[in-house]
Amino acid sequence: MNHIQTHLRVVAALLIREMEARFGSKPGGYAWALMDPVSHVLLMTLIFQAIAHAPALGTSFPLFFATGYIGFQFYQAMAGYLNGAVKANKSLLSYPNVAPIDAMVARYLLQFGTTALVAIVVLGGIIAFMRVPVDLYWPALIEAAFVGSILALGNGLINNVMFVKYPLYEQVFSIISRPLFMVSGVFFLPDSIPAPYKEVVLLNPLVHLTMLFRTGFYDEYRAIGLDTSYLYSFAFLTLFFGMVIFSFSAALLRNE
Amino acid sequence: MIRLENATKIARTKGIAKPIIDRASLVLKRGKSTGLLGRNGAGKSTLLRLIAGTIRLDSGRIIRRGRVSWPLGFQGSFQAGMTGEQNVRFVARIYGVDTRELIDYVADFAELGPFFKAPVGTYSSGMKARLAFGLSMGVNFDYYLVDEITAVGDANFKKKCQIVFQSRLQDSDVIMVSHSTSTLRDYCDRGVVMENGKLIYYDDIEDAIRAHDANMKER
Repeated sequence: MNHIQTHLRVVAALLIREMEARFGSKPGGYAWALMDPVSHVLLMTLIFQAIAHAPALGTSFPLFFATGYIGFQFYQAMAGYLNGAVKANKSLLSYPNVAPIDAMVARYLLQFGTTALVAIVVLGGIIAFMRVPVDLYWPALIEAAFVGSILALGNGLINNVMFVKYPLYEQVFSIISRPLFMVSGVFFLPDSIPAPYKEVVLLNPLVHLTMLFRTGFYDEYRAIGLDTSYLYSFAFLTLFFGMVIFSFSAALLRNE
Repeated sequence: MIRLENATKIARTKGIAKPIIDRASLVLKRGKSTGLLGRNGAGKSTLLRLIAGTIRLDSGRIIRRGRVSWPLGFQGSFQAGMTGEQNVRFVARIYGVDTRELIDYVADFAELGPFFKAPVGTYSSGMKARLAFGLSMGVNFDYYLVDEITAVGDANFKKKCQIVFQSRLQDSDVIMVSHSTSTLRDYCDRGVVMENGKLIYYDDIEDAIRAHDANMKER
């Protein structure tokens, strides 16, 4: 019981520290969290409006791109933020009651809250101000947000260990994850890709994430090829693997 | 009480594994302060971190009864990007003490002036040490683990530290690493000498200092 209390206290303290570091240190604060998705959606809308008449789904370009981008961010923003969790709190780990996992949990909570808030503001804004009719299906949205962030958490647990152990892997990882944005169905529908390539595209679990997220907005979207059990298996296997590596590397993470 | 049972800690660097604590057992009862002696690299700081719980033994166990501090060093455990005040607030939160009270105490004690609200990364080493000392004295522990921190700042500040530290020692104990035998004599009643992975306990700090000096003469 005492242990759990300590963890809760430490996670709360780290959460406040991370918020101060991320939003409190520059003017504008939380507004910056909105700048990234808004500018991406705006840019994609401008480009695609010039080359196509209508988006692949529905009638609103901003909604189409925003659903793809934000669904994707539940993984991508989380993964990026978690990768530096232990390193950014290194000195604080010399307090014996601060454990490496606390840094991960604090960042997970903060990022999840941030992306969820961004989703509500940006998507809510598009729906309300642009008068886009949608049929919200909340279970799919919550499911996608949850699985996407779990996948990122597992990934983050692995990377926090691997980046310390093999610095070269950090370079490799950043090169591999850069094109993820292009191939994860953010600005296209995987359903419409011709046969031999479609199977390859569907191997990427993040494609299933964006598809699942979009089914929460578009009633008419049939999402052919969406395999949630594939996504779940991938996410929870990664999480399990990450937890094992992370637990066995406590000494390494504390920079012994 | 702090008790080590059959404790083994192996230091690994670049493929070389060397036991720095080798199946050692030790009991430190409450009420007395302990000086930790040993040659450079014997593992004194490692032993402090083991007692604090920031690192783990390879085998054996450590039993702690009472609140044990983090290892107090010159540099403190500060996050450079956070201000002095934020660092203090963080410690207050993780140890569950009153935030306002601790901030007031440390701000008053460390004499940092406006720098208290500046990132710790901008501090001089003296300022950092003052903050570290003030912060640790602001939280109540049964055991203070001290790694060469007592000689901080100018003469006036040193005097202030000594007064606070002595008053803390009324109801807390200290486990101290220091190369200065006079500091050890000032604060400690008993001693532990680390040599070749063994921990040898002496009820009197003078005996410990003598044994340590003898060790140093040997090699």
